[in-house]
Amino acid sequence: MSFLKKIAKARELSSFLFLVALFLIVGLINPAFLSGTSISACFNTSVVYTLIAVGMAFAIFIGEIDVSVGSNLGFVATVVGSLLRDGANWAFAFTVGILIGAIIGLINGWGVAIMKIPSLIFTLGTNGVLRGMMYIYAGGAWVENLPKSFKDFSSVTLIGGFTVYYCCAVLLVVGVHCLLTRTRRGRYFIAVGDNAGGATLVGIPATQTKVWAYVICGVLSAVAGIIFCSRIGFVTSTSGSGYEMKAVAACVLGGISLTGGVGSVIGAAIGAVIMASISYLLVFMGFSSNYDNAITGIILITIVVADALMQRRNAVRNCHDRLAARTAESAAVKGGAPQ
Amino acid sequence: MSRLKLPGKKVSFTWNMFLVLLLVLEFVIFSSVNPKFLRPALLFNSINDFISICIMSLFVTLVMITGGIDIQVASIVGLTSITIGVAWQDFGLNIWAAVAVAVLLAALCGALSGFFIAYCGVQAMVVTLGGSFLYAGLALLISTLSSTESYQGISGFPDSFKWIAQYKVFGVIPFQIVLYLILAVLAWVLLHKSKYGRRIFLVGVNQQAAEYSGVNSRWVIMSTYILSAVSASIAGTILTAYLGTAKSDLGNGMTMNIITAVVLGGTLSTGGKGSILGTTLAAVIIGILRFGMPLCFKINTQYLDIPIGVLLIVVVVGRSLASNPAMVARLARLKQNRNVPKAVVK
Repeated sequence: MSFLKKIAKARELSSFLFLVALFLIVGLINPAFLSGTSISACFNTSVVYTLIAVGMAFAIFIGEIDVSVGSNLGFVATVVGSLLRDGANWAFAFTVGILIGAIIGLINGWGVAIMKIPSLIFTLGTNGVLRGMMYIYAGGAWVENLPKSFKDFSSVTLIGGFTVYYCCAVLLVVGVHCLLTRTRRGRYFIAVGDNAGGATLVGIPATQTKVWAYVICGVLSAVAGIIFCSRIGFVTSTSGSGYEMKAVAACVLGGISLTGGVGSVIGAAIGAVIMASISYLLVFMGFSSNYDNAITGIILITIVVADALMQRRNAVRNCHDRLAARTAESAAVKGGAPQ
Repeated sequence: MSRLKLPGKKVSFTWNMFLVLLLVLEFVIFSSVNPKFLRPALLFNSINDFISICIMSLFVTLVMITGGIDIQVASIVGLTSITIGVAWQDFGLNIWAAVAVAVLLAALCGALSGFFIAYCGVQAMVVTLGGSFLYAGLALLISTLSSTESYQGISGFPDSFKWIAQYKVFGVIPFQIVLYLILAVLAWVLLHKSKYGRRIFLVGVNQQAAEYSGVNSRWVIMSTYILSAVSASIAGTILTAYLGTAKSDLGNGMTMNIITAVVLGGTLSTGGKGSILGTTLAAVIIGILRFGMPLCFKINTQYLDIPIGVLLIVVVVGRSLASNPAMVARLARLKQNRNVPKAVVK
């Protein structure tokens, strides 16, 4: 029973139901969509979004934000892409990419957690610097002619039409979710985001946790950059710009509150699938992809407004309940006194 | 002692002085590297490239002082531009009527986002993020109403419209600068000299307290978003007139510059503190940087994100270091330690 209650309370459940409803509606309009390949394509295209959304979720859990993920992704994709193009070892290129992501995360964590600079502003700054470094590194040119084996690896599928990348991403999300909810250190993230002062008072290293959140965010964006490189097959100087907003949107769609401390990475992953499949679904519904942005915006605003209104109603109801309980109590005391 | 009495005023004063110093430094460096930089015609022409950022940052300052943030203004620039184009070319409206329609539409967009933020209590960041998708999408949809392909842009506007961007007061000063100065004075009066401005600050410092002291804080918050959206539509109009083409993606990539200008101007992103003078100076500093770097150091315009990003980081880190209580205490202790032995020796 408590298990069922737990599920009903989970915020990511409503996101999942929304995703299922979305698929069913599109399936009703165009039955061709309900084949395995189209649905698995929706999931497969979301792999880059999933990774950056999970990374962004860490930044949001601790009550901050990281808008440098898009440039981080682009920069890592540029570096890894050009290394591979010049015939570097895969393992070497990937290590370099992930190290770059970790360093970027460390810098962001330093600025936000140790220097106590508002995260939006600091990461906006690193975003600009990274975007510029990306131009310099690539010399303004596209990174093309990647090894064919690297590009082809993105279309290798495992069970049920899901690519290796997406399967790995799912394993990663589940693993991270378990770490976040089942281990002591994992729960620090939510605790710090919920109440940083309180967390410090009970002995949680808040600053350290925040730095770790940014490092994880940076590493996941770097991995997303490598996969982006493999899936798309080329990197332009604007690759990854705007992804930070899509990642935030995915987190919000997945039921993560931007005030921090609420939500789960599974929600972020589901939100990422919704974000990635909207343009795909539009095609099946017979709309042009011009509607893509408008519909994303409408869904995003509707969900957050509905969520805020529901939370407020709950707060009002709780207030009423408490008031009723208190008056009943005082009435009982008054009624009991004369006896 | 007078320093202790008004710490807030003292700090903002020195901050604006610092910005002026930075601006002077830019002028000195750029003009010594390349004397062409100081040529008035060239200098004034460069303003076309960043006037929209200057205009929007003025009113985004108001939003940030209330404790919010507005990242949808850049998409409203494109929306305004394409609305003017489509209303004029495909619906046959008078060009000025088209501008009025576009400004009205922008105000409605601002009001919608502002309503959700102020009356539904949703975080400003999320709503304006959604708004930036929604209004960019709306702009794209409006562009499909036109008979012209959207990537080409609608052009061929009447000369009376292009006049906005081409007329030069006294033959040198572009009309947009005059318009910008008028808007800046307007914003300054609104924020620093009117009751409305006091309310904006009060809401930013403590919304609850503002509400209890009889300020309609929700309306104040909503109105700042309407103002910033209208300023974005003015910027969009000027940009359309300058380029001579209406496109749906004109504002792309402006968000970071706007936020940088506002923050560099000394506005706290948590609200309650900021000034129009600071924002104006900061916006001009960024604009001159964007103009001077390519001219004097032959830096590709695509690399300009680096100096602006570095500037933003250095400024916020420096300010955080200077105002860090631990740092201040350490400095004070250092002073004390230096004084104590002297006293003992004497």
